[in-house]
Amino acid sequence: MSSFFYSGQIRRFLQQFIRVLNNFEVDLGKNREGFRTLLRVPIYYGDSSRQVATIIARNSENSMPSVPAMSVYVSGFKYDRPRLQEPNFVSKLQVRQRAYDPVTGEFTSYQGDLLTVERLMPVPYLLTLKVDIWTSNTDQKLQLLEQIAVLFNPSLELQNSDSYVDWTSLSYITLIDSEFTNRSVPIGTEEPIDVATLTFELPVWLSPPAKVKRQGVIHKILASVYDASGTIDQENNTFDIAASLFATRKIYTPIDLNVVYLGNTLALYVNESDIEFDDGSIPPMRPGDWTVAIRSFGELSGQGNVDLLTNGLSQVRLENDGNTVVGTVAYHPTDVNLLIYNVDTDTMPINTLSPVTAIIDPKTITVDSNLLNPVYGTRYLILNPIGHYDNDDGDPATLDGAPVWNRIGQPQLIANANDIIEWDGTKWSVSFDSQITITIEYVTNLTTGVQYKWKNNQWSKSVEGRYGVGAWSFVPN
Amino acid sequence: MQHSMISARSSIYRLTGNVPLDIFAVAIHTLQITLDLVISNISYSSGQIFVDFRGFCVIHTNMLLCYVGFVNLQSINTRYIYKDPSVPRLSLWKDGKHTNDYKFFDRRISEIFTISGTGILVHKYLGPIDQGESDDVTRPSYTTQSELNIQDLLFLENRDRKYEENVYRMRGIYQVTDNAFDLTQFGLFLQTGTLFMTFHINDMTNILGRKIMNGDVLELQHLIDYETLDPNLPAALKRFFVVSDCTRAAEGYSPTWWPHLWRCKINPLVDSQEYKDILNRIQVSDEDPTPIADILSTYQQYVDINDAVVLQSETEIPESGYDTSGIYHRSFDSETPDFAVRGYLSGSAVPPNGLPSTAGISFPDNPEIGQYHLRTDYLPNRLFRFDGNRWTKISDDERTNITSNSADNKTLRNSFITNDKTFRDVRGNTQPEKQNLNDILKPKADN
Repeated sequence: MSSFFYSGQIRRFLQQFIRVLNNFEVDLGKNREGFRTLLRVPIYYGDSSRQVATIIARNSENSMPSVPAMSVYVSGFKYDRPRLQEPNFVSKLQVRQRAYDPVTGEFTSYQGDLLTVERLMPVPYLLTLKVDIWTSNTDQKLQLLEQIAVLFNPSLELQNSDSYVDWTSLSYITLIDSEFTNRSVPIGTEEPIDVATLTFELPVWLSPPAKVKRQGVIHKILASVYDASGTIDQENNTFDIAASLFATRKIYTPIDLNVVYLGNTLALYVNESDIEFDDGSIPPMRPGDWTVAIRSFGELSGQGNVDLLTNGLSQVRLENDGNTVVGTVAYHPTDVNLLIYNVDTDTMPINTLSPVTAIIDPKTITVDSNLLNPVYGTRYLILNPIGHYDNDDGDPATLDGAPVWNRIGQPQLIANANDIIEWDGTKWSVSFDSQITITIEYVTNLTTGVQYKWKNNQWSKSVEGRYGVGAWSFVPN
Repeated sequence: MQHSMISARSSIYRLTGNVPLDIFAVAIHTLQITLDLVISNISYSSGQIFVDFRGFCVIHTNMLLCYVGFVNLQSINTRYIYKDPSVPRLSLWKDGKHTNDYKFFDRRISEIFTISGTGILVHKYLGPIDQGESDDVTRPSYTTQSELNIQDLLFLENRDRKYEENVYRMRGIYQVTDNAFDLTQFGLFLQTGTLFMTFHINDMTNILGRKIMNGDVLELQHLIDYETLDPNLPAALKRFFVVSDCTRAAEGYSPTWWPHLWRCKINPLVDSQEYKDILNRIQVSDEDPTPIADILSTYQQYVDINDAVVLQSETEIPESGYDTSGIYHRSFDSETPDFAVRGYLSGSAVPPNGLPSTAGISFPDNPEIGQYHLRTDYLPNRLFRFDGNRWTKISDDERTNITSNSADNKTLRNSFITNDKTFRDVRGNTQPEKQNLNDILKPKADN
């Protein structure tokens, strides 16, 4: 295991410093044609190796150094104890990245990695830089100094990276000293080149490498996995570890997202609140966009910019009172709020009751031969009550109640709304008593083929409806 | 040896006697070749040869050492030489006049330069280039081009120098020394690059019209470098020096006490403002119009180095602040999130997740819900998102290129520095916004 690390932190500060002093120009005055020339003054690192300097000079004595020029070099680098902070402090940052497409070399609009970045307290240093300005005359020097001097009032910010997680990237340059010329006046017989020197100070931080991990943050508690006794609650099989498919398939259980299964579509809704009560109430929601939601699930490893949803192959699983309804999905051609949902009928809940012939409203139903002469075993789920005890006059020879539901000599049919009545060949009787049934029951309407579920004292479509947070999942393929 | 020559007296000497003919032949030949005019008479009588010549001679053991010019006639044995007592003593100083002796020496010295001097091309300094009319009297405008003109009377310097287009050929002599490179913060300099070169004064003034002066540029032809490291250079590298000081050379005084030599201190030329008139005007060859500055100077290489460093720095940090473009903004209800990362200098004109946006100085008609729009009339530009009822602010484009003086640097300071904007004054004249404080209230011409 290598302990080596190097990210060029000081090098990058030097590069940025050179950038600050880049693009300064001097006015060379008019040439013989009367044209004025602005000459850009190059700035470069002043402590070059002799070999590179020779190469630049093309290994010839005849090469001419160019003036004006600026050079920058490090003249000091010392630990800055006054800026010392808790050395053992570790800062953690949670980052959600956009997916990166290695083919295009750009970020996609999909979600990428979820990262936790741990940063150890950086070490403070004081970096001193000197800038030498070589000019061939006084006017040049004043031109340059005037332009550079107004940059620092008193300081100028400097970064060595633009990384959002790099808390050491920001520093500032302060001009702390300046020397107008390296020559003495009077100049005497010597002819040294005229160099002005500016001294700058940068308080910098040096960072050791950070720890980057897959994000382990719990964004939202969807449900308690423990019961009152502190043991894992597997009653609803929601957290059936044994049945988990994590080992073989990647399943996304989005947070904040609800789907409403209706007909052959899945509509997406987003919770408007981070709080959801488990009293069965429906939280405030607003329509969502499936393309965005799918994109937020991220990317498959190594397959950047590839949509996770494959029409007709990707699945949505609906957790329904212990049953898992599985169906394939496809994008709706016109509505981003909808997915077309093709349920695998084998995964539908098993009927616990015999199917009903139809669902009827006894108050408004048209009486015809089907009612008057029903086939044996005809079953109806009724939406309103039939009969009443007050209709019974005690005489078995008379008809009590409506003739369509009653027969002379037979007990009056008294049924409540949501009951299922059945014709046994001689009379109608209650087959399913909604008043006393508390278990979950499933029944199919033979007329429409729709399965219904009896739960919480009401009938509803067995799998259609809202699936809240944690009650549905997406399987890419 | 030089001292002996000065202290010796000039006399007429006679080479005579029963000298073997071969010795005479050598002597006469030597004298004729090197001292043609020194020999005043050659005669032959009674088997003897008489050769009268003039020179500075001293007796040294059995040799007569004569110096005429710089030639040592050691080959002539003193046995055959005697001093003619009939010739009167000579005086080489003639009341400040340039005597024939002076001319004699001067021609000899000139000849020596012709024989042994190296070829020098002189770029003659003509004076500063006229910078035009100025209201600054310390920077006068001269009506005539002259070496006497001074460009800047405050700093006492001539920055924009004009050189004659004609190049003068001269001969000079200097002591070749070994050089070593001094590595400085600005590259390599020749540690002992300063040379002291002597010129013949009369030849110099005849050719140049004046003495060589500070600022004249010399090209030493024999120092041209044909073997540089860069094989792609279109021409060999010439060697230029600039004159920094000139005085009469101590060794250039003849016995007449008149000076004959002009000694100049010359330094290697640097590519600076002062010599642009030479370096930018001379082509590398008749076929190639490239100025020699482009191949002699290290300027472009350092600019390229500078550019590479800045390019890398701009690649690493294209703009100030922090790049949040790689951060994913989670939003489930719309494809266009209605928020952006907040932080110091992290605002951007690019919508969250890199989604597309429109831009303009007003909001578009009939926007779609979730549409982003960048208002470019805001400073900094502001990114909005339409939520169905209103345009909500997402972020301000706070980040900017921070390369100094670059065109897309939108910092406050740079808005003052790289400001090309103009305005119309009350007279309808276009005026630049960028003006120096000391000039703003000065009267300006109406045209």
